[in-house]
Amino acid sequence: MRYMLMPDRREAPGDPMPKSPSPSEEGGGPRRPDTGSPDKDNLLKRMRKVDPKQAERYRQRTGE
Amino acid sequence: MLNRIFGLETEYGLLVNQDRPEYSPSWVAQRIRDHIFRVDRRGLLDLHHRGHDEPPGNGGFLINAGRLYIDMGHLEYASPECTTLADLVASDRAGDRIIQQAITALGLDATVSLIKNNIDHETDATFGSHENYLVSRQFPFSRRGLGPLVTFLVTRQIFTGAGRIGCASDPNEWVQIGGLILHRPGLRDAQDRSIVPFQISQRADYIVNDFFEWVQHNRAIVNTRDEPLADPNQYRRIHLLCGDSNMAEYATALKMGTTGLVLQLIEAGQAPRGLGISEPVEALQDISRDPERQWIVRLESGQSISAIDVQEQFLAAAQRHCRGQDEETDWVLAQWESVLADLRHGYETLVGRIDWASKLWLLDTYRDAEQVAWDDPMLKSLDLEYHNLHPERGLCYGLEEEGRAPRLTTEKVVQLAQDHPPRNTRAFGRGELVRHLLSGGGAEPEQETPQEYDDHTSYDYIINWSNFKLRGASPFFMADPFRTYVQDVRSHLAGQSALPDRHDAG
Repeated sequence: MRYMLMPDRREAPGDPMPKSPSPSEEGGGPRRPDTGSPDKDNLLKRMRKVDPKQAERYRQRTGE
Repeated sequence: MLNRIFGLETEYGLLVNQDRPEYSPSWVAQRIRDHIFRVDRRGLLDLHHRGHDEPPGNGGFLINAGRLYIDMGHLEYASPECTTLADLVASDRAGDRIIQQAITALGLDATVSLIKNNIDHETDATFGSHENYLVSRQFPFSRRGLGPLVTFLVTRQIFTGAGRIGCASDPNEWVQIGGLILHRPGLRDAQDRSIVPFQISQRADYIVNDFFEWVQHNRAIVNTRDEPLADPNQYRRIHLLCGDSNMAEYATALKMGTTGLVLQLIEAGQAPRGLGISEPVEALQDISRDPERQWIVRLESGQSISAIDVQEQFLAAAQRHCRGQDEETDWVLAQWESVLADLRHGYETLVGRIDWASKLWLLDTYRDAEQVAWDDPMLKSLDLEYHNLHPERGLCYGLEEEGRAPRLTTEKVVQLAQDHPPRNTRAFGRGELVRHLLSGGGAEPEQETPQEYDDHTSYDYIINWSNFKLRGASPFFMADPFRTYVQDVRSHLAGQSALPDRHDAG
């Protein structure tokens, strides 16, 4: 079933930006977390550097 | 994706990391904007009033044909028109990168963080991530016709939500006394905040209506403003503001791709029937806050059904009617199926792909390591840090660095998207225009002052999404977003170059 309501394109697409590799092309798709691996330590290291007060300092206006 | 134009608008938060800030986020936003336009020369500031809240110089179009401006004190980036998810994800990340690079260039890295989220935990402020989908004018834009879209949007948050600590307070708990707005002590607020340690959506608490046309108050699941930014006889723009800003490229692509396919199903009269939700706004919040993640909704028929089951019905319809139409559609269908299957087996399998799952995993990891409770204030700060766009600090970027979050782009593609528009939509023509004017093809004022702006009769240029006008030339219309207009723009500019310069004309 093809969508037929939208007006036909009147101009063929040009060259799109270079196509990025899909996850499958880069080796097996999205990886699942390995909670026992050392990289958990790297993420904890990153988290421990966070300023505990930053949420208090984040004073934003309502937007849109 | 088949016959679809996509766009994303992102409002960013700016965190000033100082006890006594020397400057406000709004002031910082202006400095960043000025750097991007005046120093990096990435675009052209508007010379004309675009509206009461967009005075001259407030923002402008970029060489990638997107738009950067200040809205309600927030820096906002609108992607150029894209027909593919690959271009959209790259263009979205290009906006993040343009702003973050400006912060670094200004030497503000140590004091200013660029945060791509939608809430302020302390003030309950919210700011948006708006999605745009071009549909045919024949799209059934009625309450009945939009019913399947509402059901889809209420339930899609199980894979599109960005997650947050806590919840927003009930707006009725604030009371105005004289000139002050004070908090009215209420049991519900205290109870809610303590019983919602974490929820999967940032925006669910702020959506209070199913249909409404404005964006700043009475936010609705479906925004009904009719502003196609294209030929109104042919097109309508579906403008959604109920979603969260996604950090994971995978989540951005899945959100836009699945929504695009559901719009296609509705247009073709092939959306699943009998899935109307009895109280969609309430269901939106209930799903987001469900601590057991059962995500049960009550349908108008009286039946109760899980959000995963609802999504699987939409997926099945899309598989029947859209499979094989193009490569990206098949990618979306495969990932949609994979994510729904994984959601039945716990959130841990979705870390890196789905933002709320990544954030929850990080928070759980931290809580386990540090033995802290959900009400520890550090968790709000970690919540924010997930959205920090500094590559060495942001927690989502940390997951990418560790190989846990799949990238759909490469750094080369993002760099290209910063400097170039997609080449298969009218963004191409607009980008050509901006580049031409920046290179001296137009007379950009050296000092943009209000006095110059007040001269309404002879702007050097006026650029809008669907048209532009150069001084002394007739307006140029780009009513069809599917056309590039690039040859026509070049011809128009060549004719314009032959005109005498205003300053030389005597």
